[in-house]
Amino acid sequence: MNIYKHELKMLSGSIFTWSISIAAILLIFMALFPAMAADAELLNQVMAKMPKELLTAFGMTDMNMATVLGFFGFLFIFCQLCLAIQASNYGFGLVSLEERDMTADFLLAKPVSRFKIMTSKVLAGLTALLITNLTAWVFSFLSIELFRGGRSYDSSILVTILSGVILFQLFFFTVGLVVSLMMRKVRNVTPLSMALSFGMYVLSAFGGLVGDVKLENITPFKHFESAYVINNGHFNTSLVMLSAVVIIISVIGSYILYARRNILSAV
Amino acid sequence: MNIFLHELKGNIKSLIIWSFITLLFIVVGFSKFSAFASNPDMLAILDGIPKIVLDSLSLNSFNLITVTGFYGIMQLYFSLVLAIAAAMWGSDFISKEERDKTVEFALTMPVTRSKIITGKALAAVVSCIILNLVALGGTLVAAQGYNPDSEFYTFAYLSNVALLIVQFIFLALGIFLGSAMKYYRRANSTTVSILLVTFFMYIIAGMNEKLGFLKYFSPFKFFDPLEILHKSRIDPAFVLLSVGIIVVLMAGAYLTYSKRDLYI
Repeated sequence: MNIYKHELKMLSGSIFTWSISIAAILLIFMALFPAMAADAELLNQVMAKMPKELLTAFGMTDMNMATVLGFFGFLFIFCQLCLAIQASNYGFGLVSLEERDMTADFLLAKPVSRFKIMTSKVLAGLTALLITNLTAWVFSFLSIELFRGGRSYDSSILVTILSGVILFQLFFFTVGLVVSLMMRKVRNVTPLSMALSFGMYVLSAFGGLVGDVKLENITPFKHFESAYVINNGHFNTSLVMLSAVVIIISVIGSYILYARRNILSAV
Repeated sequence: MNIFLHELKGNIKSLIIWSFITLLFIVVGFSKFSAFASNPDMLAILDGIPKIVLDSLSLNSFNLITVTGFYGIMQLYFSLVLAIAAAMWGSDFISKEERDKTVEFALTMPVTRSKIITGKALAAVVSCIILNLVALGGTLVAAQGYNPDSEFYTFAYLSNVALLIVQFIFLALGIFLGSAMKYYRRANSTTVSILLVTFFMYIIAGMNEKLGFLKYFSPFKFFDPLEILHKSRIDPAFVLLSVGIIVVLMAGAYLTYSKRDLYI
């Protein structure tokens, strides 16, 4: 319990900053919606006449920027990007920071098992992610209510999109954790988490351009794509299962690796 | 000179990893493009679209079925990847001495602090140039299969120059924050947050014309691939702006680092 409290305290500043940024993204982007919707309605009329192949090629069949949810789906990608960076930051730093700061040998000298240390740390990280998650929920609804300007939307779809967030966060958190444990030494967390989260983002953003080549199916940005939910009412189950499997394997792998890890000490 | 060589050597691993990411990205991009290349069906479709629609989607001159047009669309993702690498290096080169507790040792050497910055900055600049050349080389090799014309080469060279300028801006930002921030651990994450904010500004600036002024704040928006393609030149006004930003940031880095209270 002490470890849990300590970890959470260490993360508190970061939780605060990330929650504020996510709230800001939601509010700022959504504030553009009223102006955008008026333009987009015009655009939609023209687009309705266009060949379907072209729309598919540019991934525009899925997005209707004139509707509340279509626009929300677009801006939510940027929220996801922030959530991904935050979660991978926490994942990569969870145990590696102790070793970098030479406090790992101190911690391991305490009368707690490694299993317990790991569990407390993972739970603290999870709590941090849940707090940010909650902020995303609150501000999604708030920003939509503020700026939808009387346009109606299906709130059950919004709930589905948002309920995917926790798995999305867990993917980056656990993958970051297991990768940091596979490395002999983690010098700096930020480049690693940027590579993981931005790599996944670019892969999915670029993948959306043209059909074909299914490499983008490995990225959680695709697994939890809002556009898919908006069109189908639910997530693509097999892709979500893929995420879940990756999470489970990463968690088990982390426990095994941490239990056997050779800890670098100060002297 | 010693500092420069030492830093460059220490950075090789990171450089290899980023080069690998860039090349992987090129491979993925071009394998996607292969479905599109010279597909007459696509051309017929593109011809059938009213001009106003294309304009509003800013697709007008990026004819997706030519390798030039395709490369134009890839530009944004290129600049994103390379800018992140530059920002990371910039802030890391300065702050890692304090993190790894080697800063006292480095500063007891008979070199001035500004010389240390110069050596480190040069090493980072060389790393950026190498990564940029890797990106350019990878693209040129990958494009060979699609009969690139001379227009493509001009466009590729010019946009890589633009890319290099964007890299330098974020590199200078990283070096400045690494020198100026009191708490060295924050330097890295602050650089990244600024990069993210400018990226979001890029998106917002493209969404609404009234917010177009935001492009002066987002280096990603400085050099529009469309304009490079059409006018075969880089907008000199934005080159000046970029140089101005870089000079100010670097001057700030020298000033603050020479007065820096080191965290030991």
